[in-house]
Amino acid sequence: MSLNAARVQPTPEPRRAPRPKLRPVAAPAARRRPKLAYAALAVGGALAIGVAQMAVSLASTQDSFVLRDLTSQQRELGLQKQALNDELVALTSPQALAVKASNLGLVVAGPASYLRLSDGSVLGAGRGADWTSTVDPKGAAAVGNALLAPPPSPVTETPADSTAQDAANQAPPVVTDGLPSPTTR
Amino acid sequence: MTTRATRGPRRRTVVALAVILAVLSAFIVRLVDIQVVRADEHVADSLSLGQLGKTRSIAGARGQIVDTDGTVLASSTFVYDAQLAPAVIMELEDAKTPPKTPWAEASEKIGEIIGKSGDEVRQMVADKLESDPKSQYLELAKGLSTEKYLELRDLGLGSYLAMYARSVRVYPNGAVAGNMLGFLNGEGKAQYGVERTEKQCLAPKNGEETFLVGKSGNKIPGSERTTPAVDGGSVQLTLDSDLNWYMQQVIAEEARKQGAKGGSITVVEVKTGKIRAAAEYPALDPNDINAVDPQYWKSQIFSDAYEPGSTFKSITAASVIDQGKATPLSHVTAPSRETFPNGAVVNDPFRHPVYEYTLAGALIDSSNVSMSKFGSMVTAKSRYEYLQKFGVGHLTGVQLPAEQQGILTDSSKWDSQSLYTTTFGQHFTVTPAQIAGAYQAIANDGKKVELSLVESCTSADGTVTEAEKPQSEQIIKESTAADLQRMLENVAVQGTTSKMVEIPGYRIGIKTGTAQKPDGKGGYKQGVYFTNMVGMAPIEDPQYVVVVTLDEPTRIRSSAATASAFQKAMTQVMKTYSVAPSSQPMDTLLPKFD
Repeated sequence: MSLNAARVQPTPEPRRAPRPKLRPVAAPAARRRPKLAYAALAVGGALAIGVAQMAVSLASTQDSFVLRDLTSQQRELGLQKQALNDELVALTSPQALAVKASNLGLVVAGPASYLRLSDGSVLGAGRGADWTSTVDPKGAAAVGNALLAPPPSPVTETPADSTAQDAANQAPPVVTDGLPSPTTR
Repeated sequence: MTTRATRGPRRRTVVALAVILAVLSAFIVRLVDIQVVRADEHVADSLSLGQLGKTRSIAGARGQIVDTDGTVLASSTFVYDAQLAPAVIMELEDAKTPPKTPWAEASEKIGEIIGKSGDEVRQMVADKLESDPKSQYLELAKGLSTEKYLELRDLGLGSYLAMYARSVRVYPNGAVAGNMLGFLNGEGKAQYGVERTEKQCLAPKNGEETFLVGKSGNKIPGSERTTPAVDGGSVQLTLDSDLNWYMQQVIAEEARKQGAKGGSITVVEVKTGKIRAAAEYPALDPNDINAVDPQYWKSQIFSDAYEPGSTFKSITAASVIDQGKATPLSHVTAPSRETFPNGAVVNDPFRHPVYEYTLAGALIDSSNVSMSKFGSMVTAKSRYEYLQKFGVGHLTGVQLPAEQQGILTDSSKWDSQSLYTTTFGQHFTVTPAQIAGAYQAIANDGKKVELSLVESCTSADGTVTEAEKPQSEQIIKESTAADLQRMLENVAVQGTTSKMVEIPGYRIGIKTGTAQKPDGKGGYKQGVYFTNMVGMAPIEDPQYVVVVTLDEPTRIRSSAATASAFQKAMTQVMKTYSVAPSSQPMDTLLPKFD
């Protein structure tokens, strides 16, 4: 019996009715055809649930592969970043910069002069820098940096660097497609 | 209402329900037993047996040390150790299907990357196989850079070439402030410097990765459970890397020029007590600590205590003026050699007729005799207390490992000689840092602020923890400090080094000191001194204190040796911090004699 049938026929109030008289039926009631739609719905539903579950499972597996790919990509980029950082590391040190500046003819000047705007007077040394540097970053007393010593990194200072070569080294990288990355073999 | 008709089915239902509940409760009991009662045991089991999965520790990186502008002074990076499995190489060579890259070719490529010839690499493998035909381990190279690691990895020789990352400490600026930064030992444990004092901030917390492994040994996707590593915090120092470099360059050049064994320059910001530069020669390069003698692994500024000499005459003057016993113009009668009533004999470093020295004059000419007489105007105990207030005998706020606090014996134990020598900086010892601390107080109108080297600690999640606020204390009256500043300016203008320390545009105050060094046999070394010069600028409102020391200069042996270094150092400090030149003229000169 279906639920619908149950709803349209509320249970009769129990009361003591006179027992109906038994009588033979003329013919058995015509058997109703089972409703195909219900069966289809049930089976279909089960199938749909199965399919959905598989799809979700597949998607989550797929995602975990994508995640793995991205993780490994991230790791790879991390390594490349580290390799580039390693190259930069000593080049940004004051020693390296001072040597380069000195090669370009820059000096560390003596006392500074200031111009007071209110009355236009010059305070301080009142003369320009002369051609001698107060310190010699290339001399024997240069402050040490083991990272700048020739062997470890091929990019660091070559002792007798020609200006042309230097300029070539220092030319900014051309960015055409994305950030420049080192060629890995 | 039970009738005979309903009693049967109901009983069946009750019995069925009872059975179901019984089974269910059995399950629940077991579940609670497994999940709650014996949970720890099972978890431990699973971990030790490793049947559920694998656990790998993820190393966190040690934090950075940066200067006051954020310039990285110490950071962590990885290097790689590569090793070969010689037996596997041969196995692959002899296999039916030859490897993609035959050994002859692979060895050439490996050699090219690690800087050896292919022959050498093959020889290493052959030698190893000879001694042990089943060898699975041959150290190929240590400390490879990431770049080389990537090149090696891309050769695709994973079946016999293994590489392991190793965290190492890198100091990008080399010896700049190396003695302050300190260094780690081979195991990565902090040995000295800020690396050690701030190890709690810098230390990382390792993470953990757990995952299930399939039969083929592959990670099962989705089974990873990761507790990420927490990197160490970043320590910010008060130092200025560029200024520190300049100071190191200056002190190295001057020490060499003067034939000194060592030297140092300390720059302190007057209002805050922050150390802006701590330069030493010879300097420690933490990247390669063996480049200098182990004696210089420690900081000279914090660990070398000497008798300061005349530099501390200002402190005697401070105690006398502060107690109202003298003014800069008070005077005493001073020959160049004096025998005191208690039998003590004090000499001036130069011969002179009997002068009526003013207190200012005693400082300008650095007269020991007159200083002894001025010092006698107050009790020894009070001078002892003033020395203590100025930081003698106490560690500075920096508390670097192996820092010396110096020696200051109690005034009750001073003998007849030391009763006087203590007035001109003998019979007690101080470090250059303590000299800087004492003059910081004079420059800061009598308010002593503890020296500091660390600004803050920034943890990996960005939380900034400021270093504890340094203690400060008014140790002498403002008027006393003003008198001292005026006298120090007169030393700069009228003293013997006046021409050498002149900084165009700025009024400065200085004091020199020459200390005798113990020879280790109870006496003093002959003819060699520990010289120092301390100064402040601009004197009308001092912003920075600079202390220059030279250890045993041999060309100029007196404190004048430090003049050139001081002049350059102070000039650079004024430039670096764009300190406005002095706009008010100097007060009238103080008379040296009455």
